[in-house]
Amino acid sequence: MGKQSIGEFEEVILLTVAILYENAYGISIKQDIEERLQRKVSVGAMRTALSRLEKKGFLESEFGEATSIRGGKRKRFYKVTPYGKKALERVMETRKRLWEAIPNVAFDFKFG
Amino acid sequence: MSQQTHIQPPKLPLRFLRWFCSPELIEDVEGDINELFGQRVQANEKKAKRLFYWDVLLLFRPGIIRSFNIYKGQNNNAMFKNYFKIAMRNALRYKGYTALNLLGLIVGIVSSILLLLWVADERSVDKFHAQGDQIYQVLRNMKQSNGQVSTGTIIPKPLGDLVAEEYSEVSEVTQLSSLMSMNLERGDEGIQENGRFASPEFLSMFSFKLIDGNKATALDQLNNILISRAVAERLFGSDWESEALGQIIKIDGEYDQIVTGVFENVGDNSTLDFDWLVPIQAYVMANAWVEDWGNGAFETYLLIPDEAKAQAVSDRILMEIKEHTEGNPNAGDEELMLQKFTNRYLYSNYENGVIAGGRIDYVRIMTVVAVFMLIVACINFMNLTTARSSRRSKEIGLRKVMGAPKKSIRVQFFFEAIMLSALAMALSIAVVIVLLPFFNSLVDKTLVLDFSSTTTWWFILGLTFTVGILSGSYPAILLPTFNVIQSIKGGVMKQSSFAVHFRKGLVVFQFAISTLLLIGTAVVYKQIDYVLNKDLGMDKDNLLAVEIKGDLGGRLETYKSELLRLPQVTSVSGSSGNPLDYGRSTSSANWEGKNPADGYEINVLLTDENFIETSGMEILEGRAFNSQLKDSTNFLINEVAANLMGFDDPIGKKLSFWGIDGQIVGVVKNFHMQNLYQPIAPLIITCIDPSLSTVMLIRTDKNATDALAAVESVTKELNPGEDFEYLYIDQAYEESYASERTMRTLANIFALVSIIISSLGLLGLASYSAEQRSKEIGVRKVHGASVWQVLVLLSKDYSKLILMAFVLAIPVGYYFTNDWLAKFQFRTQLGYGVFILACAIVFGVGIFTVISKSYHAASINPVKSLKEE
Repeated sequence: MGKQSIGEFEEVILLTVAILYENAYGISIKQDIEERLQRKVSVGAMRTALSRLEKKGFLESEFGEATSIRGGKRKRFYKVTPYGKKALERVMETRKRLWEAIPNVAFDFKFG
Repeated sequence: MSQQTHIQPPKLPLRFLRWFCSPELIEDVEGDINELFGQRVQANEKKAKRLFYWDVLLLFRPGIIRSFNIYKGQNNNAMFKNYFKIAMRNALRYKGYTALNLLGLIVGIVSSILLLLWVADERSVDKFHAQGDQIYQVLRNMKQSNGQVSTGTIIPKPLGDLVAEEYSEVSEVTQLSSLMSMNLERGDEGIQENGRFASPEFLSMFSFKLIDGNKATALDQLNNILISRAVAERLFGSDWESEALGQIIKIDGEYDQIVTGVFENVGDNSTLDFDWLVPIQAYVMANAWVEDWGNGAFETYLLIPDEAKAQAVSDRILMEIKEHTEGNPNAGDEELMLQKFTNRYLYSNYENGVIAGGRIDYVRIMTVVAVFMLIVACINFMNLTTARSSRRSKEIGLRKVMGAPKKSIRVQFFFEAIMLSALAMALSIAVVIVLLPFFNSLVDKTLVLDFSSTTTWWFILGLTFTVGILSGSYPAILLPTFNVIQSIKGGVMKQSSFAVHFRKGLVVFQFAISTLLLIGTAVVYKQIDYVLNKDLGMDKDNLLAVEIKGDLGGRLETYKSELLRLPQVTSVSGSSGNPLDYGRSTSSANWEGKNPADGYEINVLLTDENFIETSGMEILEGRAFNSQLKDSTNFLINEVAANLMGFDDPIGKKLSFWGIDGQIVGVVKNFHMQNLYQPIAPLIITCIDPSLSTVMLIRTDKNATDALAAVESVTKELNPGEDFEYLYIDQAYEESYASERTMRTLANIFALVSIIISSLGLLGLASYSAEQRSKEIGVRKVHGASVWQVLVLLSKDYSKLILMAFVLAIPVGYYFTNDWLAKFQFRTQLGYGVFILACAIVFGVGIFTVISKSYHAASINPVKSLKEE
């Protein structure tokens, strides 16, 4: 628990950053989540999550080139750190262990 | 794509974002939302902008907001953070109370903002003239023989000339005709517009904005004309700016005038309105009668640069007309007075020759109501906060134990109150923006909350702090006095009897205000109802007045017979004006036995033989006009005139005026020619020359629904060149009381609102006292008290408070409503009914609130309340 834990939304963002690889910045992350997962993401929610993840050390970022569509502002590109990758693996591991522990009959709804 | 990239995101949210966003994030965040906006704007610009606002609002959250160190380096900062946090937690923990508190504040703030906007707008009328403070209008007070004085604005022309020539204190004199309707023609196109004849000084004395033309010379030549932007657009199309100047406009089909200027449309905030201006000299040339001291001609305005000299001018001008008309048989007994031009909108009622208020009464009332609303809302806050303070007693105790002085606890509660009031203010502004269109249609104005003006912001800031400090004051004084040991020990705090009494006092005050507003509303309602349904001495329903103009003037007889052929029309009569809003008069009437020294101003109504039948007036003595008899020198008079002339039997008595000798053939029952603020004036009705008629009165069948359309088609047929202009007499009558009706609506709404706020407060108090007395209720129930008995017990206290409020409110209410009613010459009776009704409503609502809240406490199982100790 504590600092290493990540929430569901944070997990989605981390994974998306990994998917987008070289092109992971604010808007592309937001749009990718919206398209892929069919859920609404507000700029505010995503932004706080990104900064939180960076603070925890799961993400690192650097500025790219300034473009005119962004009103002359630079993009901040994100990358998953090895530590972030470890956190993601841990989440998956936890899930997997939990899934494996479920007895077969629990999901057998035929007589339910 | 290329053109859409030019659309910039809205500035305001961007500025807000840059202000709050933390510096490390701002570049990226701003870039993000810019990019997003760029994408959305291609689909739908409006939606993109809306979403932009929303995005920025969603970005306003911890993690993105930079840290605000207002008191950098002081440890106060930490304390304020703590206050903020605690306040948030408390607010969220007791959501119901927070909502109640906020709701009360919002309702109060919204009401007072709306009212104050209205007040500010009323006060801004006529205030835009640069020299406004130095302009005075000359008014004449004509003494009537019945002791009344009637005040008028139409002053003889020689007076203006005399003042301009001889009065050194007056630097400029402007004469202005009353509003006249003229046909402006350019080529084939003609439009009917209202305007005035004005002396050349008009443009320099008043600050009406000239878009085109030279202020100094625009009214110099007889053949000049200035037109408003609206008229210019209609006559010259969209290129008016380059085309209008120097063009010729034919007025009234006779005179060719050269356009020498275009002025900005005169807005609602001016009492002087006009769509064209023509040099007054042109009018004087055509109307030689204006040169006579005995004839009222123009409105007259004086510019007195030195305010101290205004009184001297006023003293000197007093008797001018009387002195110059001495020996003239038309002379009346009259004096002149001056009124500041900027005051004439708000102070437009004259009683016996003295300025006696007017709309200013409503402005004052509404200001007071606005302040009351705020006070009621603040009281609510105080009551709710102090009553619930036992919830905070442990916190206060602990703070004290940790060494907090009283002062810092006081600061804490002020801080909380201001925080809440700021929140309430923000929500209120949103509500005001939503409600403004409705409010505007209600009061018939175009009020806006102008965020670009600093006054608005100061006003908002000021109101926030006033409300915050006012409502926080009592909790901030009371709460820090809690005893440490007792508050830490917990349980229900016993508050000092002063605190309890003070709170009760506040409740009484609150309800007294609500009752007062309700009494006011009921009286206003009753009076307006009385006015609108009063028997006016004529039948104003189904009576149509069509303006006679253009070709109709020469074809009156044809027009009448065509109208009478319509099945929907029962009778028709020409008249020189709408009988309910009428002003033509003579001061030269003579009759048998008149004392030559008396001057009387008597109204004259020019009609034809069918007038009495059409208007539905009642003949008390004698007979009505009859087309079979030669009636052109026979007159009808009203009861007031009959009394004035002192006839026991007026029929057959000789009467002459305007050089016509005739006799009286009948007396009509009094009817109201002006508004009900004024007594009924003496009147002569004649049918000397029906061709002088300016309106056609048409009595329609009350069952005919298509009467208007039928009349319109007949009118159009005979007069194809002009618009069909008409009014229903009853509607026009109602409209002349528009401001009273507005007041009625406003009073209704705000009386309701004040009851709501008071009840919100009572709701909070009642639930608090039920909670405090839960043990007592438990014991009573164990001993066999019924729910009903407990309810009576709980609501008894509050009933007493409300009854005390009545004792306060009724005398005050009686005083003020009586005062208001006294302004009407014809008024409703101020009965008990109004007071009983108002009190019943307040009492009913109050008690219902208390009982609904107490019921829960009364019906609870006593075991629950008694088991914990």
